[in-house]
Amino acid sequence: MLHRLEKLLLDLAAVAVIGLGLLITAQVGLRTFANSSIPDAIVMVRELMVAAIVLPAAAVTANRAHIAVEVVSNRLPSRAQDALLIFGTIVGLLGLLPLIYAGWREAYGAIAEGGYFFGDLNLPRWPGRVIFLFGITLCWVRLALMLATDLGHWRRGEPIPAAEPVHRVEEV
Amino acid sequence: MDPAVIGYGAFAAVIVLLALRVPIAFALAGVASLGTLLIFATRTGDLMLERAIRPTTSLVFSNSFDLIHSYDLSMIPLFVALGHIAYRAEITTRIYHAARVWLAPVPGGVAMASVVGCGGFSAITGSSIACASTMGRICAPEMLRMGYDKRLATASVAAGGTLGSLIPPSVLFIIYGIFTETSISALFLAGILPGILSLAGFLLVIFVWVSRDPAAAPRYTDAISFAEKREAALGAWPAVLLFVIIVGGIYGGIFTATEAAAICVSAAVLIGFLQRRLSLRGLWAAVRETCLQTTAIFLIAAAAKIFVAFIALTGVAGDIVGAVQAAELSPVLLLTAIALIYLVLGMFLDPIGIMVLTLPLMVPLVETYGFDLIWFGVVVIKLLEIGLITPPVGLNVFVIAGVVGREVGIDRIFSGILRFLSVDVIVLILIMAFPILSLLIPGSM
Amino acid sequence: QSLFVGEAGPNRGARAEALQWFVDTAEELSGGDLSLDIQWGGALFKANAALSGIADGVADLGTIIAVYFPQEMVAYNIADLPLRNPDAWVGMKATDELIRNSEAIRENFAQQNLVYLGTFTTSAVHIGCSGATIRTTDDIAGLKVRGVGAYGDTFREFGANMVPMSIYDAYQGLDTGLIDCSQGYSYAMAALKQQEVIDSYTLMNWGQVGALGVFMNKDVYDGLDASVQDALQQAGEGMADELGRLITADNEAAIETMREAGVEVVELPEEERAKLVETSEQFIDEWKERAAAAGLDGDALLEEYRGLIDKYTQIRDEQGYPWENS
Ligand code: NA
Ligand code: NA
Repeated sequence: MLHRLEKLLLDLAAVAVIGLGLLITAQVGLRTFANSSIPDAIVMVRELMVAAIVLPAAAVTANRAHIAVEVVSNRLPSRAQDALLIFGTIVGLLGLLPLIYAGWREAYGAIAEGGYFFGDLNLPRWPGRVIFLFGITLCWVRLALMLATDLGHWRRGEPIPAAEPVHRVEEV
Repeated sequence: MDPAVIGYGAFAAVIVLLALRVPIAFALAGVASLGTLLIFATRTGDLMLERAIRPTTSLVFSNSFDLIHSYDLSMIPLFVALGHIAYRAEITTRIYHAARVWLAPVPGGVAMASVVGCGGFSAITGSSIACASTMGRICAPEMLRMGYDKRLATASVAAGGTLGSLIPPSVLFIIYGIFTETSISALFLAGILPGILSLAGFLLVIFVWVSRDPAAAPRYTDAISFAEKREAALGAWPAVLLFVIIVGGIYGGIFTATEAAAICVSAAVLIGFLQRRLSLRGLWAAVRETCLQTTAIFLIAAAAKIFVAFIALTGVAGDIVGAVQAAELSPVLLLTAIALIYLVLGMFLDPIGIMVLTLPLMVPLVETYGFDLIWFGVVVIKLLEIGLITPPVGLNVFVIAGVVGREVGIDRIFSGILRFLSVDVIVLILIMAFPILSLLIPGSM
Repeated sequence: QSLFVGEAGPNRGARAEALQWFVDTAEELSGGDLSLDIQWGGALFKANAALSGIADGVADLGTIIAVYFPQEMVAYNIADLPLRNPDAWVGMKATDELIRNSEAIRENFAQQNLVYLGTFTTSAVHIGCSGATIRTTDDIAGLKVRGVGAYGDTFREFGANMVPMSIYDAYQGLDTGLIDCSQGYSYAMAALKQQEVIDSYTLMNWGQVGALGVFMNKDVYDGLDASVQDALQQAGEGMADELGRLITADNEAAIETMREAGVEVVELPEEERAKLVETSEQFIDEWKERAAAAGLDGDALLEEYRGLIDKYTQIRDEQGYPWENS
């Protein structure tokens, strides 16, 4: 279930990146050949950026692809390494909490007050903020689930299985 | 609680957490959030946690969200996508085949070509991260496939990426120019020679490395006919075309450096489809790969941005600069102290954050010494560039690590970086000792 | 008491000097009860997060640029409108008096947990061009222009193709020909060395972007002694004179620099300016609608504002600028 949701969000992020490319290319084309432009293109690019960057956060987490410094931990026995892995997940769970709380406040505020970006179209503020909240929250849920499974392995004295990317680039 | 104490404690906490293998984004965001909460909670002397929640969450959100919610930074996912698409469309393979065939007599020739490519790419992008991520995606996997030493294949591009801000255009020079009211165009010109000098330094590192350890860079040993060379060169045309489009477009006034990324992606997709080397499925995979990579990098950058705002609250930067000022150092010692400050901050913070924190305090100080602000700008940017490849937080290294995946660990890349760093320090000293290196070109315009 | 001041801009230039003056003056007037620590360059928050940054207490006070907050700052936005309001000092004095004395506007700010302290301006909007010269409104059609607010929107009505770009990128844009013209403020254009890449500079004497100023977190403000509050208000009111002095001198020097660099400086004829003002009416109407949506009487505010502009124009004409008399 969560896995499929992550995949969907990763796909949506990919659509956002393609959207970025098309939007900016169209903007240049219109300016060069038709002396015109797409209204509020900059606002749309910014909102797409949030989708492109934040939506894959849970998939990155599931892949255990967060970047970490391993120079010290690599010299430790594997059980100690597993303990550090669990510790890192706990720090992540705590570190993301302020972002989720703040993201919720912002998303709620943007919807309740009907905030918009001043421009030709007065595009609403809420989509980017809701996407941000959603992406980070899902990342947190994934971390929590990983903590639960990793702790299970740890208690049973088993090694935490080596990270195989859950989300692969090539779809079957 | 004294905010400065919280600040220094935070630096220590980050080091400990990173050593404990906590993901960098989580360590930075967690420590910065907690530190910010502490500062706001203890401002009036009593502990008032509840009152601190609102400013803390506001700071955390606006700094991380604004970094992502950015028009200018859209060039980063797009340039990363360009690398992936060019790879799948076999554009990169072909240019590497050409480089390999033509540079066969030169030891480490392909690594050198990669660094020169970084220099060329620097002329079209103002961002070191964009430079490292694009060139990293293009160069590192090809070098690994040819059997290059993993450290050489990755570190050379991570170091080469730091040319991005020294060779114009450059976002960092623009920000420095705004803070110091110096001519941005003069700064751009001032960066050229130091940029070329750095590039030469990197080439020297590769040369020495490969001379001492020939196995680090496998040579192409087959006999190569001229026909083969010509065919290899002609096969590289899509890459040449892309470069011509991008340089011509930016300097011909058709699109901005930010827009160039999107145009390049579109052009690469078009070339790939027309040559029937890129399939829709391949394009889709390339874009998904882009997303996974850029997210990991941006999460760190966003966390670093929160950390910078937190450090601003602590007043640590003012503390340090104030101490240097009070010491009334000789010019040489002052420069040394400044270099140390930027190198230490560069271990943790991103270049823009460091500038925002230090320049308002640093510039008046160096002005009292009568330093030329254009030259000082080049010194600062070079220092900030070095910070991008120093551990523990070296964004360029992380970018390359993200590109090559599990094949090469971050520690391996950092160990390769050490050799490039040693030459970087020499280049830095040259730039500091001979202002003419920076001022020659702007002075003659 | 030690307070944080958030400023998104650098610590150089006229606005930075005026902010520093405000801080020094407020500290002095408070008799040492107040200590203000400015965080430059958006170290705490960027310009587009300044409102929540101050309202939430990330900084206790700081600069808000109203362009980023068209809903929350709609009343203040009056100072950005393309009215006949080209004088920096006159504009600031009129804005300051309007905002400082309106109960409705104060209430509107209070609901957002903000207290108004004083106003800045970026000064009059003019336009520099490369390979083109704007002498009449007919010259605008077909030009690629980097615009500023309603001044840009009006140019679009005259057939310009508006290219979104920051003022910092404008140098390269003008240099490569990506844009033909860039709207901006004289001192800023000179600070960014745009005289190197423009051939002509047309003084539009039309209006300014004046809706930026210093605001304070209301909770923090309410917790201060009355004497400290007075010190902040008094320093805030004095900003108009101080920045007026600085920016007027900088603008004059900037135009001189442009002339020396061989840039042709053009005054837009009165009848051409009238066309700009007329065409920009629709954007003033748009603003009135937004004001109405926020429960404010746009017409009444405009009338009062125009009256204040006339009042201070008259004072300037009769008595000169305050710094010329002392
Ligand atoms: Na560059
Ligand atoms: Na570093």
